[in-house]
Amino acid sequence: MYDIKPLEENWKRYQNKKKKPYYFALLVIIFVLTLFFLFNKENEFFDAYMNKLDNGVDISNSESIHLVSDTLINEGLIRLETLHVPVKNSLEVVDKLNEILVDIPVLDLKQESHIQVDDKNREKVHLDIIETSSVTAYEDVEKRFVQSNDIDDALFLARSYYKKENYKKSESWAYEVNKLDTNLEEGLFIFIKSKVKLGRKNDALSILSNYLEKSNSDEAKKLLYKIENNKL
Amino acid sequence: MKSRYEAAKNVFIDSIDIDDYIELTSSVTAFQQLQHSMEKPLKMILLFGRPGTGKSILLNRIQEKLKHQKEIYYFDTPAPTEKEFFQKLFKVLTQKDLPRNTEVNFSSLIDFCKNLRGTREIIILLDEAQMYDADMMEKIRLLSDTRVVKFVVSLHKTEDEDLIAKEHFQSRIWEVIELKNATKEDQTAYIHKKLLKKNLFEIANSIKAKDMKLIHKFTKGNYRECNKLMFTMFEICEYYDTHEPAKINYSHIPKKIIEMAALKLGYVHV
Repeated sequence: MYDIKPLEENWKRYQNKKKKPYYFALLVIIFVLTLFFLFNKENEFFDAYMNKLDNGVDISNSESIHLVSDTLINEGLIRLETLHVPVKNSLEVVDKLNEILVDIPVLDLKQESHIQVDDKNREKVHLDIIETSSVTAYEDVEKRFVQSNDIDDALFLARSYYKKENYKKSESWAYEVNKLDTNLEEGLFIFIKSKVKLGRKNDALSILSNYLEKSNSDEAKKLLYKIENNKL
Repeated sequence: MKSRYEAAKNVFIDSIDIDDYIELTSSVTAFQQLQHSMEKPLKMILLFGRPGTGKSILLNRIQEKLKHQKEIYYFDTPAPTEKEFFQKLFKVLTQKDLPRNTEVNFSSLIDFCKNLRGTREIIILLDEAQMYDADMMEKIRLLSDTRVVKFVVSLHKTEDEDLIAKEHFQSRIWEVIELKNATKEDQTAYIHKKLLKKNLFEIANSIKAKDMKLIHKFTKGNYRECNKLMFTMFEICEYYDTHEPAKINYSHIPKKIIEMAALKLGYVHV
């Protein structure tokens, strides 16, 4: 064995070559972690700012802002300025949200107060309403329903169209609700009421009578009374 | 002073010496399979596998084991010419040397074999048969048709050419036995058994399971490559033991040395 020294040199080179991918992977991990850390830092700053706002404190004088702005020596002032913009925008969004919530196109609950809507549904409706500010919001929900078959979406559309006096659509969406859950009275009632509004009172009465035979529901009886006496 | 690794190094000198035969699960299976095939009324048996899978040593082993029960001959290297091959065969068949200045007449040899039918059954183990040309193989086939001479033909399986598909083997081989590279477990047993056979217990113990995995990775379970790697490894150990003992750990062969041996043999590159 005379060539041990060159072999040792070769082995050292081989080790370096073997470790290269690990060094690279380490660099990538460090880079990703740095990015993650920086991103989190900015978010923490933003959250602190929002908390101060919520508590009614003038955060421009708060210590935490000074701390963060100190760390961002060169960009500090610019950042502070730009930070006001998203905060302002977010406040506007909150205001808008409240406005939208007032304008929810939900079913008239004066007459339907007996129909219980659980918190979960109500919450979902609220989320949907954010989108209803646009003209295509209903179409979006309809599209979403095609994919999700979510009964809440169908019920929302049935109620909304009934409220908007688009009885053809409310009948159709109430029908979808009934397909998904035959025991959900609200869907059935919107379907029946839409039929009455569309001038198909006999159909509506026939469906309601069939339902009453099976369920003996008080609400159904009240609705029957209203339809028969043209008080709908 | 002699290094403790010198003996270990010599254990792995590649040879087909029957004393070096190591009984492993896979080799026992191959042995039994070949022995069983030889019992059948077959004319030709093909034993094939990549170089270093243990074909030659298996043929040696089977000859050694069966030589007292059967008329069995081992032709280790192919005769350089057809004439020499038939001279060799003449001696096997007649138990006499070919008289000087004479040649074997192939037709007469076939007739001679036909006359032996029912009285003798000769087995010829033909190693490295890929070196015989097609004409020669055709004559071997004709001899096997006499049912007096049975040939066990050992062939290399190569990357580029699957010899088993060659025309002269395709229709004539009646049974095929393929030898494969060793599994990690078999290779581990092979290395340990080889060292223990020479009472090198401490050295066998210094090669841990992790090292065996690495050795198997480098050699892909090939016995010949394994012998080469182990030889080189112990050669490096021997150097350090003699010149730089601080660089060697006697209780555990350093990974560095296995990798250095692999580099030297070209299994890995810089």
